[in-house]
Amino acid sequence: MKAISLQRILWVALLFLCPLWVASAIADTAPGASDASLSQSLLRVNSTNQVYEFFQPWIKKPPFSRRGIGALLDGGRILVTAELVANSTFIEIEKPAGTQKSSAVVERIDYQCNLAVLRPVDLAFLEGMKPLDLNGPLRVGDEATVLQLEPNGDIARTLGRITSISVGSYPAESGSFLLFKLGAPLQQRDGSFTLPAINKGRLIGMVMRYDLRNQSADIVPTAVIRHFLQGLDSPAYPGFGRLGISFAQLRDPQLRRFIGLQEPGGIYVTDLAPRGPASIAGIKKRDVILAVDGLPIDQDGNYEDPDYGRILFSHLTNTVKYPGDVLPFKILRDGKILEIPVTMQAANREDSIIDEHLFDEPPKYVILGGLVFMELSRPYLKEWGSKWTSNAPQRLVYYDVFQNELPADRGRIVILSQVLPTSDTIGYQDLDNIVVTKLNGRSVKSLADLSEAAKQPVDGFQKIEFEEDPKLLILDAASIEAHAETLKEHYAIPSLERL
Amino acid sequence: MSRLLPLFLLVLFAVAPLNAVEISRSLVRIEATSQEPNYKSPWSPGDVSSGVGAGFVVAGKRIMTNAHVVSNARFLTVFKEGDPNPYIAKVLHIAHDCDLALLSIDNPEFFKDTLPLDFGGIPEIESVVSAYGYPVGGTRLSVTRGIVSRIDFQIYSHSGMDSHLAIQIDAAINPGNSGGPVMQNGKVVGVAFQGYSGDVAQNVGYMIPTPVIHRFLKDVEDGRYDRYVDLALTYSNLFNPAARRALGLDGDNSGVVVSSVYSGGASDGIVSPGDVILKIDGHTVSSDGTIPLLNEAVPLDEVVERKFKGEKVKLDILRDGKPTTLIVPLNAPWPFKLQSHLYDEKPCFVVFGGLVFQPADQNFMEAYDPSDQRLNYLFDYFVSDEIHLARPEIVVLSNILPDPVNAYAEEFRFSVVDEVNGHPIKTLEDIVKAFDEQTDYYVIQFAGGGRPIVLDRKAVDEARPRILARYAVTSEKNLEK
Repeated sequence: MKAISLQRILWVALLFLCPLWVASAIADTAPGASDASLSQSLLRVNSTNQVYEFFQPWIKKPPFSRRGIGALLDGGRILVTAELVANSTFIEIEKPAGTQKSSAVVERIDYQCNLAVLRPVDLAFLEGMKPLDLNGPLRVGDEATVLQLEPNGDIARTLGRITSISVGSYPAESGSFLLFKLGAPLQQRDGSFTLPAINKGRLIGMVMRYDLRNQSADIVPTAVIRHFLQGLDSPAYPGFGRLGISFAQLRDPQLRRFIGLQEPGGIYVTDLAPRGPASIAGIKKRDVILAVDGLPIDQDGNYEDPDYGRILFSHLTNTVKYPGDVLPFKILRDGKILEIPVTMQAANREDSIIDEHLFDEPPKYVILGGLVFMELSRPYLKEWGSKWTSNAPQRLVYYDVFQNELPADRGRIVILSQVLPTSDTIGYQDLDNIVVTKLNGRSVKSLADLSEAAKQPVDGFQKIEFEEDPKLLILDAASIEAHAETLKEHYAIPSLERL
Repeated sequence: MSRLLPLFLLVLFAVAPLNAVEISRSLVRIEATSQEPNYKSPWSPGDVSSGVGAGFVVAGKRIMTNAHVVSNARFLTVFKEGDPNPYIAKVLHIAHDCDLALLSIDNPEFFKDTLPLDFGGIPEIESVVSAYGYPVGGTRLSVTRGIVSRIDFQIYSHSGMDSHLAIQIDAAINPGNSGGPVMQNGKVVGVAFQGYSGDVAQNVGYMIPTPVIHRFLKDVEDGRYDRYVDLALTYSNLFNPAARRALGLDGDNSGVVVSSVYSGGASDGIVSPGDVILKIDGHTVSSDGTIPLLNEAVPLDEVVERKFKGEKVKLDILRDGKPTTLIVPLNAPWPFKLQSHLYDEKPCFVVFGGLVFQPADQNFMEAYDPSDQRLNYLFDYFVSDEIHLARPEIVVLSNILPDPVNAYAEEFRFSVVDEVNGHPIKTLEDIVKAFDEQTDYYVIQFAGGGRPIVLDRKAVDEARPRILARYAVTSEKNLEK
């Protein structure tokens, strides 16, 4: 019936269950990197996390724990990946030798860039510890050392080389950022969900994924970390901008000739997020982007970065620049060159029709008589497992895939997720995953709309309209009300609504 | 539940050897050589294969068998018991939607000693039936016996889309016997046609019952087969007391509510969503959508099943609480055909600059199994989201025969064509017309807005003979089914 996603758990298992193999730890002999001093910059972070069960949104799944190593930064902040502490219920920090423990709280977390900073509940716990400095840019071929901890607190070092620097997708799948790949034979060790990587005693990034077969570690580099740490002492977090365009490469000479493109390079805009910065600035489908901020864009969408060489220009717009920065775009439209200033802007959740993730917050729901309504979200679809695009109900998948093409005022997709059989839902128990359009004649563009409309029954009935068959369901409003308490009791539901 | 097995399935259980001797005068073995088109290289005639099935002589010097025995046939030979000579047969009528076919034999000598079989009614549950045919395990006539297990609507796997009444019998079913008669008291009570594989279920075989056979025989009386007709609507049960009250229904158990009425179908403009169907041709409709017929509760669709194109069905409905009578003239809505397996049709295609364009249909989707989500959406929701109104054919860039002219087209494989040079592409014919235009560039725009494919006319003209020769493409287009 309904499968539960094992994707995340599998990744953890891969890290920990990989066979032990022999690899000698290579000492990082550079000055300032002695074990004693490094130990003072590392903390074990044990996070107990718990996520909601989307098929029964009023309950949480069993808790699980993730263990990794955090890097101490200036100001008593501990840097970890967001995945380590996503949906955390309790975070414990521990000195490398395991002699002292304390607890910590999340100070800032950004799932997009997969980073979080923690703050110890008791700052005195960090006394005698030494923060790590952030390293500057690296090039392909440079060395870096991944740090792990032995149970006795000794540092295990694995030396590797940067094999590639590119803009790649991060676990939250909501944006692409700079990514280092480090070839390094990491050993199986407890507490390796997140690991710091250093070069000459300075932090170069955090390991967030490890591919056992290729012995390759994915590292969130300091370029992204610096952006994330920006304005840590001010309450407003600028976040990462998102341009909101899709583009195609312009390699085909026939297409280049047809659009009258004489200059080298350029990319072809194929789609725009309706309320993204590019769309607001007036960039249109079929425009050709020739340069951004004075830097030429090649036919594949790369620019020449002074630090990292030829990489995708989204690094420039999203990471180098901040929301609020204005970037001039050089555009070719209908044979004419235009300059369009684009004001970068962080992704606004209100603009999205379908939430890409719901970390650290409970999913909303409304239960009416036994009909369970939810807003469609990516985590809901992911309950169908790693092959959710083919296993989840196809109409819902299409909503997710083609959400950019929905009318601007579509609002949220409210679905009848399932039917809890009760005396009020007789005949309806086989229905699930159909999209609601109206309740009692009022259009439903969010769960709040639905909850509001439910307060106004028509002639004593709740009349729910759907996009698909059966098109209309009718419930007895008074009877639902009368049975509400029984329903809660029977199915052990603490509340019939969570908005 | 997995799908029904391959089609060559048959059941045989003999009642009495006495009958078998008589029936051997009616039974035939059919050897079919068929050629199935290859949708991945639509210009080639396809692979030749051969198979064996059963059939029996019916009135009018005809042989009845399953449609799937003689589908895509290029050459048919028929053998009768006790006569070593092969007789060349032709398909007289074929009904893919109910898996039946009638054959004729050129040589009049064939029918000299044969005995046309008569048809009986619907056998009782648990009564014994005998099946005759030529299953694997030998070449001679084989007889087996079983009982009637169940009478129900089943999907007929030959088309994959149509469901009709079918009778389940508990005999083992084996490849090679499709089309053979199932007998009771000397009369044909069904034609064996499909079953489950032993992996899924044991002793589950199905036969086409006589109401379906009679309908087929009557349909072809005018010399051609018109297919089944359909109301082209969906309905939902009315068990829920609140729903019944809201729709103005009393306490009895009747009525179903119409959910969707498909545009272009028989009920379009006559029946409306929200109508409550109380009676169909005078039969009271129960709240689960069944009517009492054949001493059983069968889906109300059975009434329509027995009718023909141009006939009418009477619906007693409740609309906004008021009783009304509707008359629906029946037809066979074409959009449904897109999702049926197709037989005896040639694949349509166009090759232009090494780009192969084909309309998506069931055979196409099975051949390629494309993962493109937009294509799958348009295909899956062709009927229910009325895609067919704006796009009678889903024209797909199905394949790329690599050549310098199309070096950057690979990313568009399985994209659906929207426009060529600004002309909307609603059918394959539209794209042929657009490519016939004399223009410097052909700009092919796909659904979903991405970048276009731009082809330089001169480059296409130069590439044309080169591509045809290199990939042994014998024809650049076929628009005839």
